[in-house]
Amino acid sequence: MSRVRCGPLSLLAASLLPIIGAVAVHEAREGALALLVEVLALGWLVRDLRATAVRLLFGMVAALGIAVSTWLYSGHDLAEAAGAACRILYLVLPGALLLGLIRPSELGDHLAQRLRLPARGVVASTAALQRLDALGEDWQTIQRARRARGLGMAGGPVRRVRESAGSAFALLVVSLRRTGSMAVAMDARGFATATDRTWAEAAPWRGSDTALLLIGFALALFPWLLD
Amino acid sequence: MFDGLDLVIPAGQRVLLAGPSGSGKSTLLRAVAGLLLTAAHGEKSGRVLVDGVDVDRSPPRAGLLLPDPSAGVVAETAGRDVAFGLENHRVPREEIWPRVDGALTASRFPYGVEHPTSALSGGEMQRLLLAGSLVLDDPLLLLDEPTSMLDEAASGQVRSAVLRHIARLGCTTIIAEHRLGPWINLVDRMIVLDAAGNVTADGPPQRVLTTQGAHLIAQGVWVPGEPSPEPMTVPGSLVRPWETPPDGAGELVTAADLRVELAARLGGRRTEPVLAVDGVHAALTAGRALAVTGPSGAGKSTLVAALAGLVRPTAGRLLSHPGIAVRGRREPWKWPAPCLAARMAWVAQLPEHAVVARTVLDEVLTSGRCCGRERDCLQVRAEGLLELLGLSHLRSANPYHLSGGEQRRLMVAAAVAHGPYGLLLDEPTVGQDRNTWAAVVGVVAAARDNGSAVAVSTHDQAAVTTLAKDELALQHGRRTR
Repeated sequence: MSRVRCGPLSLLAASLLPIIGAVAVHEAREGALALLVEVLALGWLVRDLRATAVRLLFGMVAALGIAVSTWLYSGHDLAEAAGAACRILYLVLPGALLLGLIRPSELGDHLAQRLRLPARGVVASTAALQRLDALGEDWQTIQRARRARGLGMAGGPVRRVRESAGSAFALLVVSLRRTGSMAVAMDARGFATATDRTWAEAAPWRGSDTALLLIGFALALFPWLLD
Repeated sequence: MFDGLDLVIPAGQRVLLAGPSGSGKSTLLRAVAGLLLTAAHGEKSGRVLVDGVDVDRSPPRAGLLLPDPSAGVVAETAGRDVAFGLENHRVPREEIWPRVDGALTASRFPYGVEHPTSALSGGEMQRLLLAGSLVLDDPLLLLDEPTSMLDEAASGQVRSAVLRHIARLGCTTIIAEHRLGPWINLVDRMIVLDAAGNVTADGPPQRVLTTQGAHLIAQGVWVPGEPSPEPMTVPGSLVRPWETPPDGAGELVTAADLRVELAARLGGRRTEPVLAVDGVHAALTAGRALAVTGPSGAGKSTLVAALAGLVRPTAGRLLSHPGIAVRGRREPWKWPAPCLAARMAWVAQLPEHAVVARTVLDEVLTSGRCCGRERDCLQVRAEGLLELLGLSHLRSANPYHLSGGEQRRLMVAAAVAHGPYGLLLDEPTVGQDRNTWAAVVGVVAAARDNGSAVAVSTHDQAAVTTLAKDELALQHGRRTR
């Protein structure tokens, strides 16, 4: 549990760079060593243990699935199965550890001010990202309303698919209406003419960002060196 | 919408724009803000000038507050949301934060700049958006039913924040409302639109009220001093339960020590479960209505949805009368959807969440078909309800194309047409004009008098008084009364 703050760009890079390294993970013993190094290199940044554990669980399930299918198709070779699991874990672990640390508005600040992406597109995307919560609530209400009308998720697969399509259409309509109101509300606060705007927060590149970027490169190289 | 509308509003005037739902109040506000074509299609002729400048050439500096605050939040923290307009107007960073702090204080926002916007109630959100508008010091302030979705306490807070701002800045203000009472003494001028979008009266508010009061009431506008309308008279044959409830008037569903935790939000940072209902005892009784009241965020909607069999309790007991159990199961949340629909109906707060069919008539028939009601009887009840609620001429229309009030009446019709034992409604009268209010309350009262078990979550005191003998007041998920 550290107080070091890393910016969204270095977090994103450190989540993606190890993918290059994962290609070189083959054997279980080297793989385990690589994973240990990866956890030590990135684990100290983690803050929200519970949410991270949930994301890790998804990665574990994926790795287990790969391991079982490799074991079945490789003539029950346990070492090969373990190697495959290590490769997948090496791939997903950085994302599971780091992506939760990225805040949408901060990502927007950095994309616009540091990478010079167009301001309007960046602002519209971050505004849309923070609407995900509302979208989840809308989905839940739609499901409740449909169940109360006798249309719940029950019965055979055909009925389930039709029911999901119905809910999805309702969600689409609700979201489009909301988006319309949101566009009006944003334009009323000067967004319509804001081709060039200022930013309430700076997008600093700190020493910790350089360090994390180097760690990312190291994790991309490390399995190749072991190989 | 409008045909040849002419209006002149002098700088610094406070105008109340009154008229029934659908008279074009919102359209007029958007036209003044130069935002008519941002999210709508249509044809426009004529000009809107603000300070002598055509709004189509250069959009005016105008703050606009919409009725649904959740559609206006653009950032994940309060401070960043208020800063949005300042950023767009290219205000330098060092000036932004002092102005944000000032605006949050002026609108009496209760939290600091780092507070997450996903954890705000409707009233808090509306005050945040007000701060986001006021921080720009725009000379023109446009308020589109800014308190219609809020409870009484939250409305009062938003109104006083608006008034302090107007008093400080002296900005020109146009307020669109169909509840005139709270604003009438605070404005200099009242303009009345009729259902066709024509100006039928324009002048000092008290004089307009004297000459136009009766006309406004007939059109469904809430006029100060006028009591709530008489609920519509609804024949029992259209609303009564399809079958007599088992052994007469029993307790249909009972909740004992009910506890509901809501799961973490999707994609959000807050992963702690929220305790929505905490140790509540409640009963749905045939022939009676239960009003669930309390401030926003108190757990009213969750409790009503749980009684309707739509939420699985975290702890406690939630059981139906044994006579309506499904294959021996008495837990309503475990029933298959068609069995649930035959027993309980639930009306969502926003009708557009609940549209399931392509035509108005099909919408009313859907539940009855799902739970296998006899076709001819169902058709007779559905058509009778549409006729009574003034929706007959729309029977082949798409439900999404109806006005807000028409959609609300449609959803209430769709909840009673198939005669369930229980009728549960989430804020059924919020933001409605007098005519829809009378229709909704009339249907619910008739269902109650004909043996349905009713529960309503509401902050509308008039609806509570008319409908319910039993009131269950919640605060932070716990029963206070």
